[in-house]
Amino acid sequence: MRRTLLAFTLAGLAMMLTACAQHQTTLYERLGGQTNIDAVVENFLYRVADDTELVGFFANTNIDKLAASLGSMICDVSDGPCHYEGPPMDRAHQHMGLTDRHFNRLVEHLDTAMQAEEVPISARNVLLGRLAPMHADVMRYQ
Amino acid sequence: MMPSPATPALPAHFFKAWTPRVAAFAVLGFTLLALAAAPAQAGSRLLATGAVTAIEGAAGGGLSPWAVLSGTPSDEEVGVTATATRAWVDDYQLTVTGASLNVYDRLEVSVARQTLDLETLGGELEQDIYAAKLRLFGDVLYHPLGIWSIGGQHKRVSDGTIPAALGAQHTQGNDVYLSGSKLLFSAFAGRNVLLNATLRNTSANQGGLLGFGGDQGGRSWVAEGGVGVFITPRWIVGTEYRQKPDNLSAAREDDWQSLYSAYFFNKHLSLTAAWLDLGTIAGLPSQQGGYLSLQTAL
Repeated sequence: MRRTLLAFTLAGLAMMLTACAQHQTTLYERLGGQTNIDAVVENFLYRVADDTELVGFFANTNIDKLAASLGSMICDVSDGPCHYEGPPMDRAHQHMGLTDRHFNRLVEHLDTAMQAEEVPISARNVLLGRLAPMHADVMRYQ
Repeated sequence: MMPSPATPALPAHFFKAWTPRVAAFAVLGFTLLALAAAPAQAGSRLLATGAVTAIEGAAGGGLSPWAVLSGTPSDEEVGVTATATRAWVDDYQLTVTGASLNVYDRLEVSVARQTLDLETLGGELEQDIYAAKLRLFGDVLYHPLGIWSIGGQHKRVSDGTIPAALGAQHTQGNDVYLSGSKLLFSAFAGRNVLLNATLRNTSANQGGLLGFGGDQGGRSWVAEGGVGVFITPRWIVGTEYRQKPDNLSAAREDDWQSLYSAYFFNKHLSLTAAWLDLGTIAGLPSQQGGYLSLQTAL
C-alpha cells in the first residue's frame, strides 16, 4: 500500500511535467481567439450588471470602452496579438473601496462566463492562474 | 433554550460530556434550517477553498489540517460548518462530529468529538478536541506563496483507563502546527493542483485516542502533507500522508495515509469518501478501510 501510494504520487508528478511540455498552441487560441474572448467579456459584463453588489462600481463607466479594454487585456495576458495599453491594475481600481468579496464575485462571474462561452477547463484554469496575481495590484490602493 | 451550567437540575458532567456533540448538532441543525430559509447565503470565497473537515475538526483534507480556514467567508464575513464523519477499518470504527466557526477568514475555532469503537477488543475510546487556527498571511488562490496558518488543538480523552494500561502518561494534550496550502493553476493535465504541508508538534498517541506521551517518548515534530487534483472545480481527488509519533512500546503505531475524493455540491454541502491505511492500532496490524464525511456550511 505504501509503495503503491508513492508510485501513484510519482506517476502523477511525472504526468504533470509532461503535460506542461505538451501545450504548443497559445492560450489566446485555446480561449477561442479574439471573437470568443470578446464574447466572454460581454457575457461577464452582463453578469456584473445583474449583480447588485457590483453594478454600482460601474455607474460612471463607459461600458463599451471597458469591454474593449478588458478584451485587449485578456488578449495580451493570453499571449495574443495585442498590447494592453489601459491603466495598470492598481491605478485602475484605486480608492474604489473594493474588498475581497467584490474581487471573489468578479472571479466567479468570469469563470461562469467562460463556461457559458464553452472555454475548455484547462484554458480557463490557465487564464485564472494568470489573472490571480492581479489580486494584490487591484487591492493595493483600496 | 438550554439551561446554563449553573442550573442545579442537571449535573455539571452532563454538560462537560455533551458540549462538543451538542454544539456540533446545534450548528448542523441551525445550518440546515438557515439553508432552508435563505439558500443564497454563503461566503464569497470560491467553491472548495474552505476544504472539507479533518478528523480533528479543523478545515483540511480528512487526516490532516490544511492552512485554509473553514467555509467560504472572506475578510468581512463569518461562516459556520458542521460535519459528521465515519471511518471503518478492519477492527475499529471511528465516528466524528464537529463544528467550526470562521471569523473574517482570519480565525477558525472548532470543536470535535471522536468516538472509536473497539469492535474486536471491545469497548470504546472517546476524546474531545477544542481547536483554533489563525491565518498568518496569504490566500490559497491569489497569493504567490499560498496561505499560511498556525493552529492549536487541545485534546481530552474521556476515560484514561485503556491509554494508561498501554503506558500513556497523560489523558490530555496539546498539538500545535504550522500549515501551508497553495493552489497551482493548470498544473496537471490542465487541472488545478492543491498542495498542503503541515508541521505538527504533538505528544498524541493515535491522534490522542490512546492518550499522550509514553515510555518511548513525549513530544515530537511530525510532518503531514497531501496533494490533490481538481478534476472539475467541484471535485478533487488526492492523497494525504500523516507522520505519527510512536510513544508506546505496548502499542506501536504507524503513519497514516489516505486516497480521497471530495465533491462540493455547492458552497453549503460537500461529501468526502476516502480509502484509509492506518497501519497498526493498539496491537492490531494493517488497519485499512473506508471513510465518509458530510459537511454543511453557511
